[in-house]
Amino acid sequence: MVLTAPAFFVFLAIVFFLHWTVAPWRILRLTVLLFANYFFLARFGLWYLLLIPAAGTLDFLAGLALERLKAPFPRRLILAFSVVMNLGVMLAVRYVDRAPYLFTLGLSFYAFQSLTYTIDVYRRDVQATSSYLQHLTSVSLFPTPLAGPITRVGDLQAQFARKPALSNEQAGRALFLISLGLVKKLLIADYLADNLVNRVFDLPNLYSGFEVLAGVYGYALQLYYDFSGYTDIAIGAALLLGLNLPANFNQPYSSLSIPEFWRRWHISFSQWLRDYLYFSLPGLRSKHKVFTYGNLVITMLAGGLWHGVTWNFAIWGLLHGWGLALTRWWQNWRGRRPPTSNRLVKLLCGLLTFHFVCLTWVFFRAQDLKAALAVLARIGSLTVSAENLSAGILLMMALAALGHFLPNRWLASSIALFGRAPFFAQAALLAALAIALQFLAGAGGAPFVYSRF
Amino acid sequence: MRSFPLRSALTILTFAAFLALAHRLRPDIGGPTPALFASLVDFRPPLDLLESAPEPLRPLKITPVRDLQDDAGALDHFYEALWRTEKREPGAVTRILHYGDSPTTADLITGDVRQMLQQRFGDSGHGFTLIARPWAWYEHRDVRLSASGWDIHPATHPDLRDGMYGLGGVAFLNRGAARSRIVLRHKDHTRLGVSYLAQPGGGEIEVSSGGLPLGRIQTGADSKRPGFAVFDLHPPAGDVELQATGLVRVFGIVLEKDQPGVVYDSLGMNGAFTTVPARIFNEREWAAQLQRRQPDLVILNYGTNESGFAAYVGKWYEQELRLAIGRLRRALPNCSLLIMSPMDRAERVAGGEILTLPTIPKLVALQERIARETGCGFFNTFAAAGGEGTMARWYEAQPRLVSADFIHTTPNGARQVGELLFRQLCQGLNQYKFRRSTQRPALARRK
Repeated sequence: MVLTAPAFFVFLAIVFFLHWTVAPWRILRLTVLLFANYFFLARFGLWYLLLIPAAGTLDFLAGLALERLKAPFPRRLILAFSVVMNLGVMLAVRYVDRAPYLFTLGLSFYAFQSLTYTIDVYRRDVQATSSYLQHLTSVSLFPTPLAGPITRVGDLQAQFARKPALSNEQAGRALFLISLGLVKKLLIADYLADNLVNRVFDLPNLYSGFEVLAGVYGYALQLYYDFSGYTDIAIGAALLLGLNLPANFNQPYSSLSIPEFWRRWHISFSQWLRDYLYFSLPGLRSKHKVFTYGNLVITMLAGGLWHGVTWNFAIWGLLHGWGLALTRWWQNWRGRRPPTSNRLVKLLCGLLTFHFVCLTWVFFRAQDLKAALAVLARIGSLTVSAENLSAGILLMMALAALGHFLPNRWLASSIALFGRAPFFAQAALLAALAIALQFLAGAGGAPFVYSRF
Repeated sequence: MRSFPLRSALTILTFAAFLALAHRLRPDIGGPTPALFASLVDFRPPLDLLESAPEPLRPLKITPVRDLQDDAGALDHFYEALWRTEKREPGAVTRILHYGDSPTTADLITGDVRQMLQQRFGDSGHGFTLIARPWAWYEHRDVRLSASGWDIHPATHPDLRDGMYGLGGVAFLNRGAARSRIVLRHKDHTRLGVSYLAQPGGGEIEVSSGGLPLGRIQTGADSKRPGFAVFDLHPPAGDVELQATGLVRVFGIVLEKDQPGVVYDSLGMNGAFTTVPARIFNEREWAAQLQRRQPDLVILNYGTNESGFAAYVGKWYEQELRLAIGRLRRALPNCSLLIMSPMDRAERVAGGEILTLPTIPKLVALQERIARETGCGFFNTFAAAGGEGTMARWYEAQPRLVSADFIHTTPNGARQVGELLFRQLCQGLNQYKFRRSTQRPALARRK
């Protein structure tokens, strides 16, 4: 059940009514949500009904043990067990022979989310919950296993402990985000994918270097609109149930450096890598900076391989790791001088960062290393023609770029305006959008790029 | 129940009511139907997430020869030539010209058939190649082009009033000191032909190989006519260079070897319609180019671009194809002609399904009938590849066989199409040999 499918919205509406009907009773509310989570997962394969509760139960017991035990060694052992189990589940559904055909949904996001719980309890950053129901509900919260945002289980449990509420403004925001996510995904991302990106990456040799470069820019936009569209729908769906999920994107292509890019792109993932991997690596407090640089490269290499054990993802991770390390070295060398205010320098930094990110996207998107090199070679051919860039493609790319750089306050004002509108006006707007999408979005809702990880 | 978000609930219910109303008024608008609710409890894995198990490319089944129609012996001339080549008779070079549209512009399909035929029957050279890239993606396998200073005029954007675009449909006009360097992977070519326009006030083309001059071509003449200069190449010849001065128009070069084998000229033009050979080419000039090249088989492989225009296919296509065939027949009365249909072309419709364009089967049927009526062979690529829905199936294949535009094959897909044509031609040859062997005694008795 992809988040753009009509069936998902019927499901969400049913959960919405059931949830708020029983909301005053905590046990019933958690039961409804747990049932919804497992129903959602079962739509990707009935095997998940065995796997997820079993993994969730073991982590719940691990959390209780970590809470009660004092001695470091058994605590480490239990944590190691939880890490191995979650990573094992994640890898097994991907790499064990035939498993990918039984488990059509990758469990990377589930594993990362679940690990936040045991690691936080181990570090005594949060207290282990004694509510089995609350734990199972938190680790499998239904929009998030598909592609995040990776939410700390401790945060979700804290929200479940509070009395649920949904103000008109919050509801308006939720519906607006869902609509925005659909537009981003179905109108922009899928259009660019179908009409430019997939074609260029399939057969780069049929296009000029300029067109292939446009295809790479198109992919940068497609991926942003695809993933941020998904995230908007997930955040909106959770908000309709009174739950806040963390933001995942903040105009990433306006970044002036690679570290800034990672503070704006897939934020929940980069924070996870920072908090649970980078901070766990040895040498963090060493006076030898080489440890810092090495750890950055190792962290990003692991982040790359998390997407898939291929040369392409390894190169993608290494490039970002080197980018982060080089920037850190530059910052250390430069000292604590304030950042430049020169607009030209800022523009150059922004362009450099964007093109570096685009270079890494080539490896991220291409089917294999040979295909990635073919794309780069085609760009390097410096051949110029634009016969395959129709007015529609150029217009969509321009709109997508413009949409990315729109000030956040405009979005906030639009959400506030929508939230204040009477219910029938909101409904009419949503219906008009739903009908328009049916006519304009020809691709029929391709799967989200990140749903395969 | 104080926590119940009544306003949001009303928004959702009103939204559903609006959609239900819209669906009632226009059933093609999706609304909250019973089927949608029923789909909620469909626990089969979603097809879009359930990737099919990757399978390596399997050799194609030998398809029956019915996909290559040659009832009246239309391809006999070609088979006779190919048979002589197979027997390695001295000087037995079988030349094939393959005119096509964008699926062949990068030497996809054509390059594959060339490779297979040359492996099977012998390699007589790269054949015809353009001297610069009219389209950024123009390719000729095993040849690397670099060029500068040419004004490039493809016949698909006809702006030369005389319509003289040469054999490959592209004219290269000198802008000052234009030059081309053609690097060859196979260095055993023995003959280089330069195709140009002889014209009043014509300039000069300096031809060299490996840095050593081969000769100069004076392109001046009393009137415009196709010119062709031949030079001997001395292996190993790793490159060829052309340098133009003055008023010069070049159409391409031909590279051949002095040994029996096959030469397969890839003449794909991006965005080409059948109208290009039917009307845009200057008939006399094209005929002279064809006669000079002496092909044993000419393949007309258009239709992909036409299929995007249903009215054109219905009203004008037949006339255009007959005109093109007529021109070829007048130029090459004894040569075999083969009409080759497009493989498929599809579009993604609302709902995400990939469907064959309705014009494709109509166009293929039209091509088949015209081929039969005009004494041409016909290769039904569409049927051989799988018929309706081929694009969808080939798009889902692992590795992917067609591009996301549902028009072009990937290199893997092109190889499959090339193999289909190659196998059918080989089977056709076998049938021809069988037919000949059963005819001979009767002929002998008649004597």
